[in-house]
Amino acid sequence: MRVFGLDPQKASRQVRQQVGVVPEDESSVPGLTGVGMVRYAARLCGIPAGEALRRAHEVLDWCDAGQERYRPLETFSVGTRQKVAFAAAIVHDPPLIILDEPTNGLDPIERKAMLGRLVTLARDHGKTIFLCTHVLPDVQAICERAIVLAAGRVRLSGSIEELTRPALPMHRVEGTGPLEELARALSAAGIAASLVRTIRGPAVEVATPADDDTPAVLRAVCEHARDVGVGVRSFEPAQRPLEEVFIASLREAEAAQTPEVLHAPA
Amino acid sequence: MPLHDVGYRSWTGVRRPPGSAAVVIASTGISLAWKSRWLRRAVLFAWSPALAFAMSFFAFEQAVEEGRLGMLEATAQAGRNLDGVGVLGGLLANALGRPSEGEGGSLPGSIEEVEQTRRTVWSRLLLAFMRAPQAVLLAVVIGLVAPTLISRDMRAKAWLVYFTRPVSRRDYILGKAAVLAGVVAMVTLLPALGLWLVGVLVSPSVDVAVATIDLPAKVVVASLAVAIPTVLLALAFSAITTESRIAGFAWFATWVACWITHAALGTAELMAEQPPPEAGSFFDEPFGGLEDDDRHGRPRQMHWLARAAGLDNSIDHWAWVSPYHAIGVVQAAIFGMEQRPQAFLPPLISLAFISVASLVVLVRRVDAPMRS
Repeated sequence: MRVFGLDPQKASRQVRQQVGVVPEDESSVPGLTGVGMVRYAARLCGIPAGEALRRAHEVLDWCDAGQERYRPLETFSVGTRQKVAFAAAIVHDPPLIILDEPTNGLDPIERKAMLGRLVTLARDHGKTIFLCTHVLPDVQAICERAIVLAAGRVRLSGSIEELTRPALPMHRVEGTGPLEELARALSAAGIAASLVRTIRGPAVEVATPADDDTPAVLRAVCEHARDVGVGVRSFEPAQRPLEEVFIASLREAEAAQTPEVLHAPA
Repeated sequence: MPLHDVGYRSWTGVRRPPGSAAVVIASTGISLAWKSRWLRRAVLFAWSPALAFAMSFFAFEQAVEEGRLGMLEATAQAGRNLDGVGVLGGLLANALGRPSEGEGGSLPGSIEEVEQTRRTVWSRLLLAFMRAPQAVLLAVVIGLVAPTLISRDMRAKAWLVYFTRPVSRRDYILGKAAVLAGVVAMVTLLPALGLWLVGVLVSPSVDVAVATIDLPAKVVVASLAVAIPTVLLALAFSAITTESRIAGFAWFATWVACWITHAALGTAELMAEQPPPEAGSFFDEPFGGLEDDDRHGRPRQMHWLARAAGLDNSIDHWAWVSPYHAIGVVQAAIFGMEQRPQAFLPPLISLAFISVASLVVLVRRVDAPMRS
């Protein structure tokens, strides 16, 4: 294995220089303040003392850490601790960031903000981000690729689009009005359709067996929607929830591990 | 870049060279430890013996200035004034300026002999200062700082902070050891160097600095002799538990238990050397007269002080049992007060063993999270 062309066994110091880690376990140096901790992390990575303090404040500002940064770490809430840990991981501007359950203990607003920061780092600053989490909607929301691990083995690996693609090509219709009637009308017209519940609300999934069928199906959907009084908001390729993919891969792993019953000779 | 841009910014500065992490760990550790009010008080208190020893340097140099070295008896016989600091210095020279017991020698008359006496008195004062008050105070001060150094990191899982960054195991141990080395410097090295400087400043000529230039070097080496085993032992105790209270207890218990063991073995040896008590005399002198004078006719209460100053010519056969006594003998060898290998080799080997064993434990424990 190589990280940015470096062998971690032989050049561990250089590799760690390129990596920022947010561990799942709370880890801190007792006695330091929030800004002291981030500054300490920066200095450990080789940033000079004065510059480390400036950089620590800059990163903490970006992480929305307010005046609580001047309090001792021991007095922090879980959310603030998580912000400080994240700031300490990125203070030296590493090209690779590894995060282990970074949204643990965060309220929904903080969680959204944290995911937003990760997207910004990846999209606007070209960082490679490894996110290890059990909160699969987070993965589906911000990640490009996912690896499913079960019992220490890689069970699934690929882009989110590949992993969540349904077994049969389908499109999802979202809109306002009687979606159930739309599903019924499409089924009566010979197009396989069903009503599903998603995070964003009810939707209709329609089968599009081949890519060539998609324009025809879209036309049919629009016609029947007009007939039943549904306002179509979106028509996009359907995805399986990542939880469903994850559970399916775990079941497969369990089935593979079930030992065969051996019959001893009489 | 616009001023209102408060988003994430990349950092493109110049990093410090690898290995500077140990300096960062040490400086941060010292500043964290220095926040403790108890440590500040203890260090301040640890400087108080230096005042008494500084007075001794001043008194000796005053005696040199007044030409009173070796002339006390003549002065008294001539009926001249015997008061003043110079007389105290003369007494000091009389006590410390002679060669070790049994070697004979006389008090100075010529300039060369004054120089020789100065060297001997200064060496013995510095040795006594480092060996008697500072070694005990050092054990106390290290006991305040060391137990939390690694145990608290282990409890707070701070090793993740260090070892996910470009910090090697060696940097970490060096940094933590430097925190304690700083404490050793504050308690023994700096006051002892300060004493030498005081001696030079109160001496009649700056040439004294050149004539005694080897003493600061000996102070540094003697401080290293204290620092290496004590720092490693204290860090090893701190590394074997996540409870700093247990580490602190282990540290003090080791010093006290070894001291008691040394005292018991030394007393037993002394009793074995005594002639058997005459019939019926046991109840008159249950300790065979041990509580009065030692074998050199010196009051036993002053025996430790004489040993601290390197005046005791006897060999402490059990010094290797106790780190405190072993360090004292090795320091005496460094100051040239103990030149017999059979006296300083066992303590030296004992301290080397403590250092190596502590280092092995330390490395294993610091390495443990990365192995698991």
